[in-house]
Amino acid sequence: MFGTVNNYLSSVLHAAQDYDGESLGTHLSLRDVHVQNHSLYIAQPEKLVDRFLKPPLDEVVCAHLKVLYHLAQEPPGYMEAYTQQAAACGAVVRLLQQLKDENWCLPLMYRVCLDLRYLAQACEKHCRGFTPGHVLEKAADCMMACFRVCAADGRASEEDTKRLGMMNLVNQLFKIYFRINKLHLCKPLIRAIDNCVFKDSFPLPEQITYKYFVGRRAMFDSNYQAAVQDLSYAFSNCPDRFASNKRLILIYLVPVKMLLGYLPTKALLQRYDLLLFHDLALALKAGNVNRFDEIVRDQELVLIRSGIYLLVEKLKFLVYRNLFKKVFAIRQTHQLDMADFLSALQFVGLSDVSLDETHCIVANLIYEGKIKGYISHAHNKLVVSKQNPFPSVST
Amino acid sequence: MAQVQGSCDSFCPAGEAKMRIREKLLHYFELKNGQKNTPGVLVKEFTRSAADVKMPLPKEMRTEAALTKTVEYLLKDIILDTRKPYHQAYDFIFDRLRAVRREIVIQMYDARQKIRLLEPIVMFLAYSRYRLCEESIEKFDPKICNQHLQECLTGVLCCYEELDGLESSAEPTIRELERRCFIECLYQVFNLGSPESFTRALSLPDYVRQDATFKLCFGLCLAFQQGNMYRVLMALPQLPHILCALAATKLQAIRRSLLQIFTHAYNNKQLTVPVPYLLRLLLIDGPAGLQDQCRHYGISLSADRKAVHFNKTDFNHNADLLKPQHERFVESKLKRIYLPEVLLLKKFN
Repeated sequence: MFGTVNNYLSSVLHAAQDYDGESLGTHLSLRDVHVQNHSLYIAQPEKLVDRFLKPPLDEVVCAHLKVLYHLAQEPPGYMEAYTQQAAACGAVVRLLQQLKDENWCLPLMYRVCLDLRYLAQACEKHCRGFTPGHVLEKAADCMMACFRVCAADGRASEEDTKRLGMMNLVNQLFKIYFRINKLHLCKPLIRAIDNCVFKDSFPLPEQITYKYFVGRRAMFDSNYQAAVQDLSYAFSNCPDRFASNKRLILIYLVPVKMLLGYLPTKALLQRYDLLLFHDLALALKAGNVNRFDEIVRDQELVLIRSGIYLLVEKLKFLVYRNLFKKVFAIRQTHQLDMADFLSALQFVGLSDVSLDETHCIVANLIYEGKIKGYISHAHNKLVVSKQNPFPSVST
Repeated sequence: MAQVQGSCDSFCPAGEAKMRIREKLLHYFELKNGQKNTPGVLVKEFTRSAADVKMPLPKEMRTEAALTKTVEYLLKDIILDTRKPYHQAYDFIFDRLRAVRREIVIQMYDARQKIRLLEPIVMFLAYSRYRLCEESIEKFDPKICNQHLQECLTGVLCCYEELDGLESSAEPTIRELERRCFIECLYQVFNLGSPESFTRALSLPDYVRQDATFKLCFGLCLAFQQGNMYRVLMALPQLPHILCALAATKLQAIRRSLLQIFTHAYNNKQLTVPVPYLLRLLLIDGPAGLQDQCRHYGISLSADRKAVHFNKTDFNHNADLLKPQHERFVESKLKRIYLPEVLLLKKFN
């Protein structure tokens, strides 16, 4: 595409003169076909570029051409390419600052930031000699510079404000912060979006991504109601053709809902290849603590990798609840012997459990409102309420 | 910024020593046999970097060997010095170790060098956090101690990760691996209940995750996350010395949540729960300790003080957490160790 550098550069110039942000973004994308054009791989493009473009756009383009040059080397110079892309990002910040009351160049910013993240990820994967996560963190700093310019643009009208670019950047930053396990950094970003007057008018795809991450964060903070709300929004608004995205959302939505007492249907799990949760749900329903532990042990790596290990482990008390409910169903009395609960725990394969611990587990379930009643220590009995002693978890 | 390499091979650069002797700015522990104005062993003081202070010269900074010796001197000779109460020794060691940390930064040490110097500092702060937990705020500020402990810990952890990321670096020795396991345990215990640290625990290399002490810590953290305080309390006394001591500083919070659970579970006007059962579960030594807890949270005891009366409306939610205290099971562990050996990570159990 473009043939010569001059063609490419004049095409960039036209896009800029037409205030065509989309097209400009494509010209600077690392995923566009022009990156296969060998005549664009230039180590020192400054002189050429200066003939066509004014600062700071010339810097963006120079840096872009250098990125292409470094990536074309054998082996590819990811680190050098990243450094140049970071320079491009810095130049974009200056461009944004220069263009007061205009936001047509937001697509350019999105593109440059996206590629910056891809390159940082490539560095993390292929390069050595730094603390893991370091390059991604640096990339996040560059994006924060963009974010600050956007967030501070409060005077322009609603159509022209750069604040419209905030959510796209926030989503990019989320992706980095989740990857490097620095979730506390998400908080100010969420606050910035929450305080935004037109927070509902961001494009739907961006909102879906946003809710997905905000939901995951709420899950991390044990704020399960909010997590379900956000993740459900993401799931129901995500179009069916993005099945893998829907699956990603479900990986978090299903266990959070289980924790709140909603078991998933087998059909849904089958459709998204998530039958692991079906097995868990069966063990949970049966109160089979041992089977539950077994699944967690077998699937440990999968659970850790998807970041739901802890969440699934927190389902444990629901398994206890279901087991104890079965004891109640068998005994058919409102005064239940604590020793029966102990036997039940031993029956499902817990070998190291004591009567003291049984007391503590039951106590915990009462405290959380999962069992209605009280324990009489003197008689070693659990006295359950005549009405609804095991209230449904989902209420 | 160019890398400066220290050339001073004593605890305190000559210039500073001369100045402090002249100006009579010596700390008690720097005087010979505690005599006034007779200088003994001086250790470089902590000074802040400031805009008007010039970059230190090589002779004003210590060599790596001198820094190691300084740390050893502080954590061996000074820490065992019983002439003054421990909080004074703590203040002195804290400040001098901070100077060591500052030199680590200025001299831009690599991950391996940093690890070796920071690990004992972490151990010292963790030990002191427990040892001084009963002191009043004028003598010991737990917040500052926590803050520095967290900072040093994350510093060391970053270095471990950096070494993991380096292909070229030499294989770590068994000793180094043992030290890392212990520090990783310490991080888990210190950040009990934090989802971030738990996530870290899940992603550590296998040799750490398979370590017996680490498994114990992991189980403890998992039980805490699940809300199974019984398991937390039963695992806690099994931890080795410093880990056990650091975990004990979290004990009051764990006791509080268990008591709170019990006020709901044993909630009954007529019934009571016997004291021995509660002492066992809450890891409290004697009835007096339990009475303190009950009084503090507004829980009533029976007339003969042999049983506790739980009532969920009684629990005082506004009561602050009780201050951490020295626990008998920790004290007996600490009595059995030779402190410098443990703080300098030469012995782990």
